[in-house]
Amino acid sequence: MERFKMVLRTLVVRAARALGSPVVDQRTGRVLGRALIVSFRGKVHLIGLEAAVRPVFLPQERLTYWKQEMGFTTHPAPDFPHEPRP
Amino acid sequence: MSRVLNVLLTHQPVAQMDRMLAWWRDYCPPENVLIVFNGDEKLLAQLDHPHKTLVDDPRLRTVKHPRERQSYTGVWRVVSRWLEGRDYTHVHFAEYDQLPVTPGFNERQLTYLEEERADVLAFQLQRVDGTSQPHYLYHAALPGFFKHWESFSVRHDRRVVLSMFGSGSFWKRGAFDVTAARTEPFPIYLELYLPTTAHHLGYRLRDWGDQNRHINSLGDFVDQIEHARRDGAWTLHPVKTLWNQPLPTR
Repeated sequence: MERFKMVLRTLVVRAARALGSPVVDQRTGRVLGRALIVSFRGKVHLIGLEAAVRPVFLPQERLTYWKQEMGFTTHPAPDFPHEPRP
Repeated sequence: MSRVLNVLLTHQPVAQMDRMLAWWRDYCPPENVLIVFNGDEKLLAQLDHPHKTLVDDPRLRTVKHPRERQSYTGVWRVVSRWLEGRDYTHVHFAEYDQLPVTPGFNERQLTYLEEERADVLAFQLQRVDGTSQPHYLYHAALPGFFKHWESFSVRHDRRVVLSMFGSGSFWKRGAFDVTAARTEPFPIYLELYLPTTAHHLGYRLRDWGDQNRHINSLGDFVDQIEHARRDGAWTLHPVKTLWNQPLPTR
């Protein structure tokens, strides 16, 4: 049963990547992979993407009250300084 | 003068540990290798190696490691206790299936740590708070997860969560000991717990950059050792079956 579930999951993920859209990092412009993005019951489901992404609303040059765009981005690589403890 | 302790975590039979030590002896002095054995004390007694210790922690013995939130906190604590009164300045942690492939790898690690002005070097280090990273999302649902970091963080942004690949990491002694002294408030998967704890304690973590290419989560790279060495690898992961047979002539 466990094996069957794994095979099924693999097939679904493959299909999601084949049918899905390229996901572009809005910060860097880099393509992060492909994913199927599905809206269901007020939530957005992201299927098949391997990168760790954050959703962001995108800036718009035109003021529109009826439509906003969401994209995805990543954190920059960790580069925090050494901070001595008090 | 820097002195690196290479900590090897293993649960393998004595014959395999003997072969693993024989391999490591070609790359660093035996007195710089500590075996941390997750198994029977009687088996460990049979191992002919001066530096060895036992770790007995049920949170280490998980099957589905991320789901069961496997912990290395017990390992860190045992090693930190072992280090008391000894003059090692750095700790290189490696699981049994991560092996050195380039002579002088400890010196390279020290140089890279210095260049990055880092306290800790980690593989596949990334910031994951607010992201789709599965381990992060699994923990973000836990009550008290964010409050825990906020309770001791010295950072301005106390919601940062870092992730690393757990098979190997390199620590300044101070960062290692202070991280080891912390207590997990509830089970947190080691790949989040260790880097995030060190970060909020004020230590600087850096990614291992180009070396990430040689660290993989799945497979067995036993046939890729020479290729990885030529390709600039310092260490290679995972090599799971090398210790199951007599070592090839080098």
